[in-house]
Amino acid sequence: MNYKPDESTLIAYLYDELDAKEAEKVQDYLDQNPEVVKKLHGLNETRNILSHADDQEVIAPPIFMDHAHASRFWQNSYFKTVMSIAASILFLLVAARLIGPEISYSGGELRISFNRYKQIEKPIEQTITPSISSVEVQDMINASLVKNNELVSSEWESNNKKLQASLKNSLTNNSEKIDELMKVASQASQDQVRTFVASLQQDNLQLMKDYMQLSAKDQKVYVESLLVDFSKYLQEQRKQDLMLFQTRMSSIEKNTDQFKQETEQILANIIANPEGALKRVNNY
Amino acid sequence: MMHSDALVSRAREGDKNAQGKLVQLWYKRIYNFSYKFFFDHDMAMEVSQKTFISMHKNMEGLQEVNRFRSWLYTIAVNYCREELRKKKTRRSVSLHDLRPGESEESYRWEASSSRSENPEKQLRQSELSDLLQQCLMELSDEQREVVIMKEYEGLKFREIAEALQISENTVKSRMYYGLDGLKRILESKNITKETIGYEL
Repeated sequence: MNYKPDESTLIAYLYDELDAKEAEKVQDYLDQNPEVVKKLHGLNETRNILSHADDQEVIAPPIFMDHAHASRFWQNSYFKTVMSIAASILFLLVAARLIGPEISYSGGELRISFNRYKQIEKPIEQTITPSISSVEVQDMINASLVKNNELVSSEWESNNKKLQASLKNSLTNNSEKIDELMKVASQASQDQVRTFVASLQQDNLQLMKDYMQLSAKDQKVYVESLLVDFSKYLQEQRKQDLMLFQTRMSSIEKNTDQFKQETEQILANIIANPEGALKRVNNY
Repeated sequence: MMHSDALVSRAREGDKNAQGKLVQLWYKRIYNFSYKFFFDHDMAMEVSQKTFISMHKNMEGLQEVNRFRSWLYTIAVNYCREELRKKKTRRSVSLHDLRPGESEESYRWEASSSRSENPEKQLRQSELSDLLQQCLMELSDEQREVVIMKEYEGLKFREIAEALQISENTVKSRMYYGLDGLKRILESKNITKETIGYEL
């Protein structure tokens, strides 16, 4: 027997929508094909997981049924169309009155204008007569250039002199200092060597102190980070608590709103169908 | 069955009270179908309202009373598709889309049955619902509508085929591949029977 159900048959089998004869055939096939059973089992598990998605709660809005006599002539669509055309024309007329458009065509030129047509005044060309000749301007430029050159050269000379003087001065000072230092170095005694060693020891001591302080600092940082982690944990805990609280609050709010909606719906039903409501009241 | 055929008959004959009763009976189902399709409260409300206005207008055209359910879902599906087209052409992203389920849209009416549940459980349940909803949104539109109709609305394959105006085999095939796709999506997000049991 070479019976092999297709996907459509398998899915119908999964949802129990096969007739008994067909279902029996599929069952026989499944008995011989464990891999297909596994596949169907996987699909069934997916269905189970999907069933965890809840429905959203919603309340049908109150429905007010229309009555034939309730429609007025101004609610008629033809009336509305005619009125909207009339309003558009009125708007155009008012706009035209206010803006005053003018459209003209002359000499191959189409002109659309609003309000009055204004002639564009052509700019009047003015002839400017120069008050100074170009030769005079050239002379003035040359004179200012000469003056500027003289000023620059005099400043440069004075600066140069000052620089040379300061160089000489610093050279003499430095040579004197070096001479003094050389003299001190040559006169170094045993006492000075001792003080040098003592200062070295002092430095070592300072280094040790620094090291100790540093390690203490590391410990401090570690403890601080520990405290920060702990505070973060507390913060997270607080956040979770707040979320729970918020959920509870929102659920209370939703309950209240739902109750309000239900009340509105009941009222709407009573308004829409007062006779039915009266009957129900009488039945009680 | 949520309604009797007599109620549908009366509604078809123009009984306003019967129509109102049908709205009350079916509003939640149509809203939930649309909500699961869009994962958006506003769009679900829009579709639900349009569906029932259309039902009210076209009730007299209903041929067979016993096909009311698939007829109603046909209207809802058509409006869902219309809204989807509008949404695609608008090409805009609402702030809500960034974090669905967190904003005003998620205005969920608390089920009367769960009023006494503890808030922590409620929170976990609502998170799980949102997560499953996100998985559903990863399916194609065709597969999603079939899966929702079958899994959450409990329609028969025949009724889904009538509502979507396609063959029953196509419905079954979409359902098979939809479920298979969902299985893979759930696995990729590590949502299994065990993790759900742990969460709840």
